[in-house]
Amino acid sequence: MTAEAPPAATRPARPRGSPWGIAALLVFAAITWWAASEEFGIGFDVIQLATNLTRGSQIIGEFFPPNWEYLPRTYGPMLETFKMAVIASALGCGIALFISFLASRVTTPNPPTYLVSRSVLNVIRALPDLLYALIFVAAVGVGPLPGILALFFFNVGVVVKLLSETIDGVDTGPIEAARATGANRTQTVRWAVVPQVLPNYVAYSLYVFELNIRASAVIGIVGAGGIGNNINTERRFFNYDNLSVILIEIFLFVVVIELISIWLRRRLV
Amino acid sequence: MIRLENASVVYPGGVVALKNLSLEIHDGELMVIVGLSGAGKSTLIRAINGLVPLTDGDILIDDVSVREASPRALRELRSRIGMIFQTFNLVKRTTVLNNVLMGRLHSAGTLRSLVGMYRPEDVEIAMQALERVGIVEKAYVRAQNLSGGQQQRVGIARALAQQPKILLADEPVASLDPPTSHVVMRDLQRINRDLGITTIVNLHFLDLAKVYGERIIGLRAGELVYDGTAAQADENVFRDIYARSLTADDLMGEAASAAALPS
Repeated sequence: MTAEAPPAATRPARPRGSPWGIAALLVFAAITWWAASEEFGIGFDVIQLATNLTRGSQIIGEFFPPNWEYLPRTYGPMLETFKMAVIASALGCGIALFISFLASRVTTPNPPTYLVSRSVLNVIRALPDLLYALIFVAAVGVGPLPGILALFFFNVGVVVKLLSETIDGVDTGPIEAARATGANRTQTVRWAVVPQVLPNYVAYSLYVFELNIRASAVIGIVGAGGIGNNINTERRFFNYDNLSVILIEIFLFVVVIELISIWLRRRLV
Repeated sequence: MIRLENASVVYPGGVVALKNLSLEIHDGELMVIVGLSGAGKSTLIRAINGLVPLTDGDILIDDVSVREASPRALRELRSRIGMIFQTFNLVKRTTVLNNVLMGRLHSAGTLRSLVGMYRPEDVEIAMQALERVGIVEKAYVRAQNLSGGQQQRVGIARALAQQPKILLADEPVASLDPPTSHVVMRDLQRINRDLGITTIVNLHFLDLAKVYGERIIGLRAGELVYDGTAAQADENVFRDIYARSLTADDLMGEAASAAALPS
């Protein structure tokens, strides 16, 4: 006797894939071709890239061997870069923590505050750090101060964006529980929301600090202090062997920060 | 005393959750609310502490109107009403003690609570609340490392730390297994008897309701359809509340009657 299957409900037909997915892919492909093409775009050519690389290798060769005698002269500017990054990260992340609560739908005191803080943030984030540096060098002159200001605005933009979206996703149960105890808004945020997002906040802050070390190499080129000043000088005098010392130094610096941040995050989460 | 006067709640989408509910709940009572999901049990509980605003009528707690209360007065009112939840609503990443201290925020002052400098007497109250639910040894453990039953007892301790006059429990055992459910229900029963705290509990298991409720009210589609003692609430009454015949799913089972404290 064969076991009889129970009368099954009719199985649903497999839903058809949406034609929009393929259409979107085709549109992306078309735009990419347009951007790279000879007639309409910038004329991007892989073969040309390969042949020109050999020309580049001559310059790249000048990076070696690195001129280690130059190293002591980078200590001061590198330290300045470090100090700039520390100050800009501390101020930027500190202020971003408070703004994030205004810019999240979950914790904002009222919808207008939410809208205003979001729009201001979008404006702040619209400018890249290099442009901020140009503006502040023009405003307050050459040196580390315009660099710190540029990094500060950049940091506020990044951290508020990431953190406010993390706050949007927190478990709202504890918020309801805190409100039910008669806690006010500040207390509710402090004890029902902050513990939930703290590990993320620390991770974002370390990430921003790392970005600052790298960014100060670039913004220094326009006169905003730090190791970037040296990059600009050495580049202009074609001292590629000195330049490679700076590059190696920045590379090591960023790797060390990354290791520290991995270690910190593991302890926190 | 809690007095509901034609209390009504219509949600923004037009759903009528409570319809002209009039009811008196006396000090020290243990009242169980039963009804199908969507009958308005959670809405009723949340209307009492103002988490859900009334759209008509009023609720008076010791003659103070919940509906008319200013934000400050509402916080003051809530500080005297403890609440526990189906999903416990603990901050899982922080310690049990920090969760319970949430119940002291209303007396701590904003600045103090911002830096977490609770007064020694507030910490003492929190510790005593943990002792009452028998879980004080977990005070410095992260809430996420506790079992469901333990988490719910932390939830109860958080409510007790408010030193409340009223305790609201919204489906407190719906996420727990039957034996743990009885432990938690007995905790609530003991708190109600020993401390004289008015206790209002939503339950959907009818046998639990009959065992632990002194008074049972039934809601159907936002309306009061039963109000009486547990003894009077027989199968016919429940059938009327549920508007259908009862099934095994409506009962928790597990020899419920043997579990309660002797009255």
